[in-house]
Amino acid sequence: MAQLVRTETSQPAPPPARRSLRPSWAWIGVLPFFGFVAAFLFYPALSIVVQTFFDRERRPTLQNLLDLNQPFIISSYVYTIELSAVTAVVGGLLGFLLAYAVTIGRLPGWVRSSLLTFSGVASNFAGVPLAFAFIATLGQLGLVTQALKSLGISLYPSFSLYSFWGLAITYIYFQIPLMVLIMAPALDGLRPEWREAAENLGASGWQYWRQIALPILLPSILGTTALLFGNAFGAHATAFALTGGGSQGNVVTILIGAQLSSDALANPGLGNALAFGMIVIMTATIGLYTWLRRRSERWIQ
Amino acid sequence: MSTQIVTRRRFLKITTAAGFSALVAACGAPSAATPTSAPAAAPTAAAAAAPTAAAMAPLPAAPAAGPIDLKAIGGLDALVEAAKKEGELSTIALPNDWANYGEVKKAFLAKYPFLKHNDLNPDASSAQEIEAIKANAGNTGPQNPDVVDVAFVFGDSSKKEGLFQPYKVATWDSIPASLKDPDGHWYADYYGVMAFEVNTAVVKNVPQDWADLLKPEYKGQIALAGDPTGSGQAINAVWAAALGNGGSLDDAAPGLAFFKKLNDAGNLLPVIAKPATIAKGETPIALRWDYNALANRDQSAGNPEIAVIIPKSGSLAGVYIQAISAYSPRPHAARLWMEFLYSDEGQLLWLKGYASPARFDDLKARNAIPADLLAKLPKTDVKVGIPNAAQIDTANNAIKTGWPTVVGATVK
Repeated sequence: MAQLVRTETSQPAPPPARRSLRPSWAWIGVLPFFGFVAAFLFYPALSIVVQTFFDRERRPTLQNLLDLNQPFIISSYVYTIELSAVTAVVGGLLGFLLAYAVTIGRLPGWVRSSLLTFSGVASNFAGVPLAFAFIATLGQLGLVTQALKSLGISLYPSFSLYSFWGLAITYIYFQIPLMVLIMAPALDGLRPEWREAAENLGASGWQYWRQIALPILLPSILGTTALLFGNAFGAHATAFALTGGGSQGNVVTILIGAQLSSDALANPGLGNALAFGMIVIMTATIGLYTWLRRRSERWIQ
Repeated sequence: MSTQIVTRRRFLKITTAAGFSALVAACGAPSAATPTSAPAAAPTAAAAAAPTAAAMAPLPAAPAAGPIDLKAIGGLDALVEAAKKEGELSTIALPNDWANYGEVKKAFLAKYPFLKHNDLNPDASSAQEIEAIKANAGNTGPQNPDVVDVAFVFGDSSKKEGLFQPYKVATWDSIPASLKDPDGHWYADYYGVMAFEVNTAVVKNVPQDWADLLKPEYKGQIALAGDPTGSGQAINAVWAAALGNGGSLDDAAPGLAFFKKLNDAGNLLPVIAKPATIAKGETPIALRWDYNALANRDQSAGNPEIAVIIPKSGSLAGVYIQAISAYSPRPHAARLWMEFLYSDEGQLLWLKGYASPARFDDLKARNAIPADLLAKLPKTDVKVGIPNAAQIDTANNAIKTGWPTVVGATVK
């Protein structure tokens, strides 16, 4: 079996695309895209990094970064990282199981297509509509809350939509479908021949999973989980809509908003430093995702 | 120096008739109310706010202030004509459900239909209004607010920063001296008392005092109506809690400690309370000005049932002020707005929304208040703390800077 894996690794890379000596006109097609990325991704990110190191009088300073070392800012980062990690792991696990069920779980084809369509919609169902949907179902006077109450089960006060777990459940709603969407192609990449070969050599189902399927899928699973982490970490609209701006900004994105939206504590420098901290964490996350993804793609070709 | 015992009626009386300066000059007896004390108190607040002003980037020079009263303009008809030429009025942070502003705006526009109304960011906080003036200085577009309605503490500091321009409305003399800047840069509009607004569909056992809020039965049910780092209503809720918990008008720290306890107990929600969240039951107990709470009670008309409680052990009175932006692109429309607000008609519209207008006593003395409206006003016998300008300044700073560190960002 190990041999088989090694053979796969040494598979030659696809032949390089044919290159023409003349400049290709096809580049013109992607120029608007690069312009867009430069204007709306690189320029704002660069401006955040630069402004982090300047004070209000445009003098270079490290004060903004030093200001991050305050209990309420650290606790806010910890809270956001915990929230992102929990929703990435729970959402990732449930999403993986769902994707497994529809790809190699021998479910009828219509289940697969309808689940993928639903996932496409639900993974983008975030922000204001999602917050209100959850208030209407699980809020203090929500439909589910009231229905349970009439059965004698009272959710509140032990549960609150505005607590850590309330927010986590709301986030998991858009994390699961994202995991399904990204994992389904990876699971499709598992070739039936591998399993057949393993079974012919006498492997049990458990051995197949532990020694073949999981090692192949693991980079993909971990990579997608990293992406889910980043997805939750950068979320703002859902938390904002849920709390109406959150007077206590427990999520970093809301805290940034509070620093920039000119209330009495307004400190754009600190806001930039907070965003800079997020860029660092996000870059690490996306870097991890890209690296793991590249490792896994070797198997899916 | 702490709180004095007043009934709501008596509160209205001392803050208007005799004791305008109960608000500005004294936390104590109405006898401290002397016209001279107002200017004396003013520089303290302004001086304290100066460092903040200095830290900001310089603003472009404001256009020269215009005529300072109706006579200088040439009478109301001339003002209406000048406003007609401007054609627009931009107001900011005037929610329809706040102090009856919905009806005030409607009545004003019905009277002067030639004005196009730009209703900017109705949910903005006082601090955001001041920032909007600064950010739009020199801008003549509709996004530049002509007038603001801000918490009392912003009056002198913003005057000092040159953000307001003076104008004395026709009814100027009937506004108590301590409720206005002697030069006309700002004038109080209305005031109220901090109260608990309770959705009784969710909360069966209505809390009667500050200490009650700590009970486990209110877990996850209590919300502020703003961000305590910038909203006057939220800051005053924290300060009012101080009065009921061993603090005073000079010491707001116990309020922060109280909210920390509330948060640690899991009773404080990280949600900004608004009429919608109260109706939905998402913020079953909201700390809001009594006029907002009472108006909301009337408006929801029993769906859901709303109770308004002034905490037994004491609460706090708060004043808001009106001012015309120094950078107003439509200064005549702005003056027309002020004339309307301070006319009997405008003042009664505020009173209809349970906000006690600055000219309350004058209206009452002239029997200009309809009897049914007067009868509807709430009566309470609890202690109401009435801070002066310096105390407001100190407490505001203590609360907005102390909130993130004492109570913390991560509300449980």
